Amino acid sequence: MVKKLREIIRKWQQEKVYQKKLRELKKRDPFTYKNF
Amino acid sequence: MMQLGISAFYHDSAACLVVDGEVIAAAEEERFTGIKHDDSFPVNAINFCLQEGRINLSKVKEVCWYEKPRKKEERVNNIFNKRPLRTLLLRYKAKKRFKKQNPFVILKNLGYKGRVKFIDHHRSHTNFAYYTSPYNKAAILTIDGVGEAETITISKGQGRNITKIYSVDFPHSLGMLYSTITSYLGFKPNEGEYKVMGLAPYGDPFKYLEKLYKVIDKSKSDLHLLQKYFTWEYSDKIMFNKRLCRLLELPPRLPEDTLTQEHKDLAASLQMLYEKEFLLLVKKAKGLTGSSNICIGGGCAYNGVANTLAYKYFDSVHIPFAPSDAGSAIGACLKKHTKVSPYLGPKFNNSEVKKILVQYKNRLQYFKLSEDKLINTVADILSKQKIVAWFQGRMEFGARALGNRSILASPRTPIMRERLNEVIKKREGFRPFAPSVPLDDAKLFFDIKEPIPYMTQVVKSKPSLIPSATHIDGTARVQTVTEQENPIYYKLLKEMKSFRNVPILLNTSFNLKDQTITINPKQAIDRFLSSKINFLVINNFLIKKI
Repeated sequence: MVKKLREIIRKWQQEKVYQKKLRELKKRDPFTYKNF
Repeated sequence: MMQLGISAFYHDSAACLVVDGEVIAAAEEERFTGIKHDDSFPVNAINFCLQEGRINLSKVKEVCWYEKPRKKEERVNNIFNKRPLRTLLLRYKAKKRFKKQNPFVILKNLGYKGRVKFIDHHRSHTNFAYYTSPYNKAAILTIDGVGEAETITISKGQGRNITKIYSVDFPHSLGMLYSTITSYLGFKPNEGEYKVMGLAPYGDPFKYLEKLYKVIDKSKSDLHLLQKYFTWEYSDKIMFNKRLCRLLELPPRLPEDTLTQEHKDLAASLQMLYEKEFLLLVKKAKGLTGSSNICIGGGCAYNGVANTLAYKYFDSVHIPFAPSDAGSAIGACLKKHTKVSPYLGPKFNNSEVKKILVQYKNRLQYFKLSEDKLINTVADILSKQKIVAWFQGRMEFGARALGNRSILASPRTPIMRERLNEVIKKREGFRPFAPSVPLDDAKLFFDIKEPIPYMTQVVKSKPSLIPSATHIDGTARVQTVTEQENPIYYKLLKEMKSFRNVPILLNTSFNLKDQTITINPKQAIDRFLSSKINFLVINNFLIKKI
């Protein structure tokens, strides 16, 4: 049970990091290959 | 017939002038504006080409545009139709841009009244790759991010005829995939791919390979990328979403973040995936054409490590000097085989150079030397581990400095690479430098199968002899030089042999951090003065700081 809970917390924390990094990247100069 | 070739509004805008099938001049717009990969209408490059041909725009019979804007707009609209609400603003922006970038209107405003011919994006790549090759019969493979709709094509060239046999359409794009992971690693797409290639040998290619392969639907016979991981169809800010982060189990890197072993492993896995997919396409090209020669074009043809793998199926490989969109300005004009040198840009004579040198007399000391004396002196300087900026003749066309706008150093000491990376170029320490070698000596130092005049292949080298020009995996992106193509640079390399018995020079483009390649003597002098380069050579002038 504790192991499962730890895993959920780890994933949740990881998601938060992804979210933060993605948000930060979107703020930068277009960080993309211009395909439009 | 006078033709003006133009590539614009995507990346690496460029122009060229072709007279009766012969390429007279060509240049990329970025060299004039100083904006790396400048995508604006190449008005400066056009002016240079016209000046070089001593004509004005009214004498041009045909403008050849490197792609078909309407076809591209159609593809973009089709993509937006998949998510009408989400892409509403993007659609508006794209419509406005397509209107503003109408080649007819722009050319009319410049006073041009002649014909405008639009060539398919990948056909321009194909033309440039095939018509600049020595082959009368060949397979032609083009790979890039995306043109109008195509991302990969295979054609068959026979004599003057080119027949397209196979193609893959957007959003299934190897180039876009490479750019996506480039941006995931914190490097700018369409610029940082070189860095990913340089980083790859430091990593474990198997660490992320299986995960990366999950973005490809292997049940399909052609390349099919699962779009759930990417945002190419609805974002102009970023190329991937959270699903890709979850798949890789690695947070994306911001440009300022430290490079970790995980990042190196991801770069290595991406390169390996690219090589495997590239090899499948090469094999397909062989099967479809039966030829023993292959020409490779499109931006992905700058992947020198992958290019060398084409020898698995072909006896001879040709990659032109500017396989990306810049070269397409030339490709759009060509209708038959033409011998084209990469030295197509501006040049300056000794009296022009002297006029500029005089303006710097308080800061520089200069000596005008005969060619033989100059070569002997520069070889001596280089053999003493000094760094020389070398400016000769016409500027190169394409991303590589091929000995006319180069920073040169001896590759024999291991510290030279760090010195150049950290002190002169101020770039990441992991990035390799390329060696130049006379073609007739090349086999003594490099495992080459045929001449590689444009640094388009990465081959095994002898690290003990040239440590600073050999990458961590024992390879080098070599340039073979012949007397016919660049006589003075060839002589300098040969002279190096008499000093240290190794006719090899480390050759990197003449620019400092975030700058475009040097175009003129004034820029060369300013850059020389603001850097720690020891000597500058412009034509016959040997220049040093006071």
